[in-house]
Amino acid sequence: MRVLIVEDETLIADGVRRGLLRAGFVADVVGNAEAARAALQAEGFDLAVIDIGLPREDGLQLVRSLRARRVALPLMMLTARDRVSDRVSALDLGADDYLTKPFHVDELVARCRALIRRAHAAASSVLEFGRLRLDLAGKEAFTDGHPLDLTQREWSILECLVLSAGRLVTKERLMSAVSDWTDELTPNAVEVYVSRVRAKIGEAAQIRTVRGLGYQIREPGK
Amino acid sequence: MSRGSDSPSIRRRLLALLLIPTAAIAALATYSAYRTTLAPFEAAYDQDLLDAALAVAGNIEVGRGARPAISLTPDAVRVLRSDSQDSIYYQVSAGDGHFIAGDAGLPVPHQRIRNPTFTDSTYLGEPIREASYRVMTRAGSAIVTVAETRHKRSLARRQLLQSSLAVDAAQLVTALIVIWFGVGFAIRPLGRVERQLAMRGPRDLEPVTTEGAPTEIRSLIAALNRLLRALQEAEQAERSFIENAAHQLRTPLAGMLAHLELLAADSGPEQRERVDDILDGGRRLARTTHQLLALARSDSTLRTIATLDPVYLPGIIEAAITSRLAAADRAQVEIGAQIEPAQVRGVRWLLEEALGNLVDNAVAATPPGGSVTLRCGSVDGCAFLEVLDTGIGIPAHERAQVFERFFRASNTRAEGSGLGLAIVREVAAIHAAVITLDAAAEGIGTAVRLTFPRMSSPD
Repeated sequence: MRVLIVEDETLIADGVRRGLLRAGFVADVVGNAEAARAALQAEGFDLAVIDIGLPREDGLQLVRSLRARRVALPLMMLTARDRVSDRVSALDLGADDYLTKPFHVDELVARCRALIRRAHAAASSVLEFGRLRLDLAGKEAFTDGHPLDLTQREWSILECLVLSAGRLVTKERLMSAVSDWTDELTPNAVEVYVSRVRAKIGEAAQIRTVRGLGYQIREPGK
Repeated sequence: MSRGSDSPSIRRRLLALLLIPTAAIAALATYSAYRTTLAPFEAAYDQDLLDAALAVAGNIEVGRGARPAISLTPDAVRVLRSDSQDSIYYQVSAGDGHFIAGDAGLPVPHQRIRNPTFTDSTYLGEPIREASYRVMTRAGSAIVTVAETRHKRSLARRQLLQSSLAVDAAQLVTALIVIWFGVGFAIRPLGRVERQLAMRGPRDLEPVTTEGAPTEIRSLIAALNRLLRALQEAEQAERSFIENAAHQLRTPLAGMLAHLELLAADSGPEQRERVDDILDGGRRLARTTHQLLALARSDSTLRTIATLDPVYLPGIIEAAITSRLAAADRAQVEIGAQIEPAQVRGVRWLLEEALGNLVDNAVAATPPGGSVTLRCGSVDGCAFLEVLDTGIGIPAHERAQVFERFFRASNTRAEGSGLGLAIVREVAAIHAAVITLDAAAEGIGTAVRLTFPRMSSPD
């Protein structure tokens, strides 16, 4: 998996590159938006990590121009913590996720991995997470190759969690993911479904509850 | 605005400038009216004197030696001399000045050529008015003079003066009252501008509106607005300086930390501990830097933001928990939320910053196995944001001090700069929120709550 790092600060760029290399990625660094566009056009990348504070043309403009050219690869933004407006506009412009500086390299790697996984799932319709494998087209889940017996709603919940792996998924989002037009689910019903999914996947992945807020799926042992 | 007695007052100045000329003009008017009214009075009295003189003249006859002579009966003289207030004198003399009859000492102007002649003179130590008439008789010319003391004239004059002074004083007082209130009314727009400025918060640097302001103070308002604009620009410059400094400090720190993390993962057990120590120090440095910059920015925000936007509190809690989930896991502290719908008017990044600091403190103060709960909701229409922990708590006598910059509770083990709660206090001040600090429900741990003012409109 190949990542393009767009960051003008060599210290950060190098740190991110080393972190990604350690995690088994291939990573290249460019220092400005122009070079980033050229690199993305010339070669295939699975993800770009883009700093918002780039010289001349900033990261937000880069995201806008990439999305305008229908470049579909996942984009991970690096921002300063106190600029909420930057974060919001980054997501509005088509970035997929963001991290604020200073960040933990481990977290950056985990987020990058989740983004790439999601993008690949959209392309190949198969999603691997921990010891779970989800066939998005056939709506089937496997642990260590064995098919899981999931109801339609349980499947929707597992799919929703795995697609946002590593991130907090609110109860409201799960509710809207499993509800259809005919009936509305209560928050309590969501809890019931989640605990059933949890029981069925066993040790293959870990669904942790964030009390009062939602859930987060994690790879086993993490 | 203080109106001290020695500070210049527009009202007093206008009063002085208007009243002194008005009074002078009134005095002149009084004087000239007095003079004008006096003339007919004098003329009437003079006419009476002349009539008396003519009556006397009618009695002149030709006497011995073909000289003019007069014979007045005692009754006629009594009638002539009768007057309630004044003494009447008369004299008849020949054209050459020869005394014929009457009061001999009365000064008679023989040289006057006009006929009749009125003169002012003195007789027996009193001022008198005389009317002299020259008549031609068959016995030659004779001069008849009738005089009177000025008592009734003076009385009339006095009465006239008094009444016209009374009228003019009344006019002057009326003018004074009209000017006093008129000036007050005229300078009332100044008061409006004053109130408009007085109602402002310290952070409102928007220009003062000239709408409805009189022409005379528009230039004053324009000067004020130039000052406000300059202040705004200075704030802007300060803010961009802070933002620039933030970037300059944060970026190398982020790079250093990334490398240290990698180094820690790569190093053997012996170096590992030392690298971890450096990493911890670096993270503290990054955090303190961030907090200082957040404080500086909130300081300038306090002075510059004019409007607060609606902020949905559950969103803030979700963001705070999402960004601190990993840290809570590392500290083995369970983190959760109790969310009820609540909205406030505020600055989103500041609220996130404040809540983030409260959560960091709560996680740091809670031993492994404990929990931290973020709550929001509203009580009596007032939204609140609260962080509860099951940690070591803050000694009651230190609770007032914890919001000071760089203060750290005596029982804390956790590393920290002591800036976090200062930021919280700053943010609370910007949002007019009240901070309460208490032991959590079961008497253990800490509960910090921000209670926001009731929102005026539901939008």
